[in-house]
Amino acid sequence: MTTPIKRYSPFGEIEEVGEGLFKLNVGPQHPISGQGRFIVLTDGERVFDIEVDIGYSHRGIEKILEYKTFVQGIVPVERMVMLDTSNILMGYVGAIEKVMDIEPPPRANYIRTIIMEMNRIVSHLYALGLLSESAAWNPAVFLWTTADREPFLDLLEMLTGARWSYSFFVPGGVRADIPRGFIERLKATLDWFEKRIEVYEEAWIYNELFRMRTEGMGVVSRQNAIEWGLAGPNLRASGVPYDTRKNEPYAAYGELDFKIVTHTAGDSYARGWARVEEMKVSIDIIRQAIDNMPDGPVRVRMPPRPKPGEALFRVETGRGEMNVYIVSDGKEKPYRIKISPASFRNFYTIEMLPKTQEILLADVPVLIYSFDPWFLDADR
Amino acid sequence: MIDALISFVNENLGVLFVIAIFPGLAFILGFVIFAVWYQRKYLARLMIRMGPVHCGGRMGWLQLIADAMKLVAKELIFPRAANKTLFLFASVVLPVIPAAMIALIPFAPGLIIYDAAGVSLLVFFAISTLFPVVSVIRGWAANNKFTIIGAFRNIYLDIAGEIPVFLASIGVMIWAGTYDLNEIVLKQASMWFIVPQFLGFIVFFIGFLAMIEKVPFDIPTAETELIYGPNTEYSGAMFLNMMEADYINLLAWTLLMITLYFGGYNGPPIFADPVLNGVFWILVKLIIAITIIFTITISYARLRIDQAVKMGWNYLLPLSILNILLTLAMKFYLGGV
Repeated sequence: MTTPIKRYSPFGEIEEVGEGLFKLNVGPQHPISGQGRFIVLTDGERVFDIEVDIGYSHRGIEKILEYKTFVQGIVPVERMVMLDTSNILMGYVGAIEKVMDIEPPPRANYIRTIIMEMNRIVSHLYALGLLSESAAWNPAVFLWTTADREPFLDLLEMLTGARWSYSFFVPGGVRADIPRGFIERLKATLDWFEKRIEVYEEAWIYNELFRMRTEGMGVVSRQNAIEWGLAGPNLRASGVPYDTRKNEPYAAYGELDFKIVTHTAGDSYARGWARVEEMKVSIDIIRQAIDNMPDGPVRVRMPPRPKPGEALFRVETGRGEMNVYIVSDGKEKPYRIKISPASFRNFYTIEMLPKTQEILLADVPVLIYSFDPWFLDADR
Repeated sequence: MIDALISFVNENLGVLFVIAIFPGLAFILGFVIFAVWYQRKYLARLMIRMGPVHCGGRMGWLQLIADAMKLVAKELIFPRAANKTLFLFASVVLPVIPAAMIALIPFAPGLIIYDAAGVSLLVFFAISTLFPVVSVIRGWAANNKFTIIGAFRNIYLDIAGEIPVFLASIGVMIWAGTYDLNEIVLKQASMWFIVPQFLGFIVFFIGFLAMIEKVPFDIPTAETELIYGPNTEYSGAMFLNMMEADYINLLAWTLLMITLYFGGYNGPPIFADPVLNGVFWILVKLIIAITIIFTITISYARLRIDQAVKMGWNYLLPLSILNILLTLAMKFYLGGV
């Protein structure tokens, strides 16, 4: 039970830590573990090492995609993150469009942007609920966020026919145009949701005890965030203004004006705060997209098979930047698809953190959920 | 034999009623069932949901009884590496400790299970110190990493919380001039002690939240960290006992708070019978108090153990000593009650 291990202190020295330590298996059957396991080396309160054991939900999605035609691959790809399917699917569809050398019509780009931002709000709401639930057994906020996702899911159902797993984006555009009455309902929902964000801030983000638990805890410095390949809101909470929507625009993001949310602290509180602020930005983006939406077709025809070649597409999902790399040999099925998801890199940061700072056992759930981990995404 | 028993029952009917029905066993178990049901329904409303609706109609009042029956009917599982004797012993003894504390609380004039000869407040605290001891026994006997961490957290928290609570109630003792809970209640007939003892009450209340181990101080049983803390390995009826122990503990400390600071059973006469009146008022105060406690449990995040211990030693302890000095000065100049 007690194996001496080496711990890297913040000053780069190696100190021996051994006697009296034991390993806690947090998961896969634990209230907070999700579909994975965290092996925590602890002396009862102080944590010396966290090992993230992923792979419990590995489905071989990349291999499955090699046996499907490009359009058939849409369904398995969406299973990576069910909360955030449209952002994930954008990566896959965008890469196909790149390798087939087709350009979706502008109206399709705007519809995609609206759906993706609504999905981002839904995804961030879930992440915030889990963060609150891990900071205390405080299910109120989790149930509030779950309830507040409903209007967005209803809207998405109205638009795409499904509450999640929409399969709405196809190479060359989207499957259908916006239905009648959708825009008015969306505007009303956004107005209502802005008020709800104020409620969250009042009840929870500014709550003194929540700040006591999260502030100054799990600090990722700007340097470390870049070195460890942190992604998404977590990266921006460490003060790196990197957002694929801005740095390498896709869909309609290049034509819209929005800001990148950054925070300098890099602690768990900053990561939660960044998600709240990003929801506000998402509301802003949706409003702009509604106002600037051009008329025209929503889909162009896709050639049955691409020319041999390869393409890399970056997309900013709710959990950070995801890269999809497609190699095509000219057949109707891809030769190889490699997906590099954001959650995998976020898990790496969770593993690295105890080596740079003192973390207590009580901090472990808060720390993990401040990164918005998603095992299905990391496992693929 | 039977005749002797019947004559014994007839002679001691009042005592047996107090022990077995009110405020004894039946009331305590009934309160546990009510409190769990009330917590689930009340918190559900705050979370925009319904709470239990399937058993006993829309209000779900049968749900807790059904849960208790299910737990009793289940198999008792002992972990292979556990010390089975101590494991069982802790689960049987733990609910008894807070129940013994309730025996010292006066519910109405003359309605008290055990009148501890004028030192009942001291006896209350003496019994309450057993709680962490048995808690450590349960954590150690289960031979599990989660339970032992939870048990040690329990000791830290109890010591950090109990000393300020005790010192705060010393303020009440000085102000009232007695250790006896019944006399303390009688002296609050004109004014509740929360007014002269306001600082003491604040210290008492925060320490009290630590003693009942609810959020923000549910550190020993932190669900997101330790699953169910020292109780993780318990199953079936033993688990039921642990749940009961939690809620009986809540009942005991809430009753002490009402007795010390909110006038105990004192209240405007609604019923002609003083006993009925006292019982009515103490139950009303009890329901208001647990409503406030449950609201607190849902409004805050859990503290870390180091933060809770630091709060107990760095802030509550000096404040409680300051409160004692203030009380002495007030007693000296104003003459007390």
